[in-house]
Formats: sequence, structure tokens, C-alpha cells
Amino acid sequence: MLEQISRVMFWLCVGEIAARSGLLPLPAPVTGLILLYAELAVRGKPPDDLGVLADRLLQFLGMLFVPAGVGVIAYLDVLKAEALPILAAVIGGTAITLFVTMMVANWIGIAIARGQEQKPPRLEGAVRDVNL
Amino acid sequence: MSTFSQFTSLTWTSLAEKPVLETGATVFAFLAATRISRLGGNHPLLNPTLLAIVLISLGLEATHIPYEACLRGADTIHFMLGPTVVLLAVPLFRQRAVIRASARLIAVGLAVGLPVGVLSAVGLAWVLGASSQTILSLAPKSVTAGIAVGISEQIGGLQTLTIVLVIMTGITGAVLGPIVARLARIDDPRVVGLTMGIASHGIGTARALQINEVAGAFSGLGMGLNGVLTAIVLPLIFGWFRF
Repeated sequence: MLEQISRVMFWLCVGEIAARSGLLPLPAPVTGLILLYAELAVRGKPPDDLGVLADRLLQFLGMLFVPAGVGVIAYLDVLKAEALPILAAVIGGTAITLFVTMMVANWIGIAIARGQEQKPPRLEGAVRDVNL
Repeated sequence: MSTFSQFTSLTWTSLAEKPVLETGATVFAFLAATRISRLGGNHPLLNPTLLAIVLISLGLEATHIPYEACLRGADTIHFMLGPTVVLLAVPLFRQRAVIRASARLIAVGLAVGLPVGVLSAVGLAWVLGASSQTILSLAPKSVTAGIAVGISEQIGGLQTLTIVLVIMTGITGAVLGPIVARLARIDDPRVVGLTMGIASHGIGTARALQINEVAGAFSGLGMGLNGVLTAIVLPLIFGWFRF
């Protein structure tokens, strides 16, 4: 387990160095995430302990925002003064995003499914011929 | 001063110096919030994070403890956010077979959902006269909170405001997602899940998991990929414009 904690801290450190030195305009944890993913892709399989660590910690992800969230008390005036644009952006923006994304993705999904229904038989035959 | 009150005031000062009390209060509040949420059938409106924030705020109000004291004390918990976000790589890696099998669908969902999510929020807020600080805090609203706070800091928004806006967005997406799908007559669980993850991160994913496992997996995928891509794209764009 300690090995896995060091692994996570190592990639987070690399991310932190990249962010602080101005090398990458990415939040340090995101760089760490990408590098850990790359390491797993090279290994082919995540170590068992790492899976356990991830499952345990990600279960409490919601709790980690509570302290900073409480800080919003200091900005209640901002929230009240800009209630209309904020609510419009959050509710209206999310509704627009859901609708547009679902429509386009669904349309593409149908197009892909239709394409796959027609192609495979002929394609497979052709590949087999070449291999022979 | 009586011995008892001397004892309690001493205890109080030593507790105030170490973050034991605040950390404990945060964990306890979240535990209570999780129980309340479970009692309500895990309804998205009963989001545990939001409930815990409200519980602690009410507690601070009642005890007249300034919230700055609470923030400083809870640094311990806030610190855990970094390593936990790094660990998001693990569930994302577990889904690599799904990513490969539906690569085109996922790519299209992200290519549409990411810019529409950012532009609709920023655009509506700008048209209705929000301050630039609020607009910057709103920009990463669809991204999972751990990544969103990093983006917000990078582009000059307010982290605390972003967290609350992110949670509000998650709740909105979790409630509206299934309704929009029904109105648009879309029943492909891959499309519904992916979209809910892109538009409303973890809270939307929790709701998508209640639809079915496929919707849940695609939602988690949408959340993770949208988070990473937005973290790459947004600082670049806002770096160019600098408004």
C-alpha cells in the first residue's frame, strides 16, 4: 500500500513541478492523472493495491470539497447580487448542454450503428482472402 | 474564574491550534449528510456535499466561530483532493475497453458537450451582466470539482465559488438529464450516460448509475475525459484572451 501511496505522490509531485515552473498550464493533479494513466497503459494492468486505494479514496471524494465549499459564506453577497446570471448559467446552460449533446451524440450513434450493419460481412471476407 | 471554565478554555485553545476539531466536524457533518441523503433515496437534491456545507455553515453561525478558522483547520481534508484526483486515472484506465469500442461516439460527445457546456454558461452569465470574476468561476462548472478548482485557480476565478457552482450544476444535470432524454426521445443508455457525465460530472454519474450500468460507465467516462480535456483547453483559451 505504501508503494501505491508513493506512486500517487510521485506523479502529483511531477505535476506540481510542471505547474509551478510554468512548463504546463495544467492543474498539478490533472498532470498527475495523465502520467499515472500513461504508467498504467505501459504496465498493462494496475497493481491490486492501487485499485483498492482508488476505490476507497474516491468513495469520499465528495467530502473533500466541504471545507472549501464552506468558504462560500464569504461570497454570499456575490451570489445574491448576481443570482440571475448565475442561475441562468447553471440551470439554462446545463439544460442547453444536455439537449444539444444528446441530440448530436444520438444522431452519430445511429449513423455508426447503421454503418456497422452494412459493412462487416464483406470486409471480413476480403480480409480473409488477403490472408490466404 | 472557576477551575472548570479554566479547564474548558484551555482545552478550547489547544483544540483551536490543531485542526482536530474542524477536521472531525467536517467528517462528522459529511457522515450525517450521507445518512440523510440515503434516507431520502439518494435523491440528487439531497447531495451529501451540499448538505454537509449547509450543516457546517449553520454550526458556525450558531457557535459564532469565524469560517476562516474552519478553513484553516480543514486544510488537512482539502489537501487530500490532489492525490484523489490523480487516482481518477484508475477507473478511467479500467474503462479503456469501452473507450476503444465506442471511440467515435465518445469523441463526438466531447467535441460537442465540452464547448457547449463552457460557452452556454459563460455566454448567459456575460449577457446577463455577471462580473468577470463570476464568469471565470463559472467556466469550469461542468467539470468534476477536484479538477474544476484547479482550472478556476489557473484562469483567475474564485475556488470556493467554483465549488458551489459545480455542485449546483451537478444537481441540475442529475435532475434534468433523464427529463431531457425523455423529451428528446433518446433511449440509448450510452448517449444519455455520456452526456450526463460531460454536463454534470460525478453527481450526474451517480444519477446515471441509477438508470443502468451502461449509462453509469459512459457517464464516468464522460466526466473523466471532459475533466482532463477542459483542464487542457480552458487555461489555453483564457490565457490568450486575458479578460
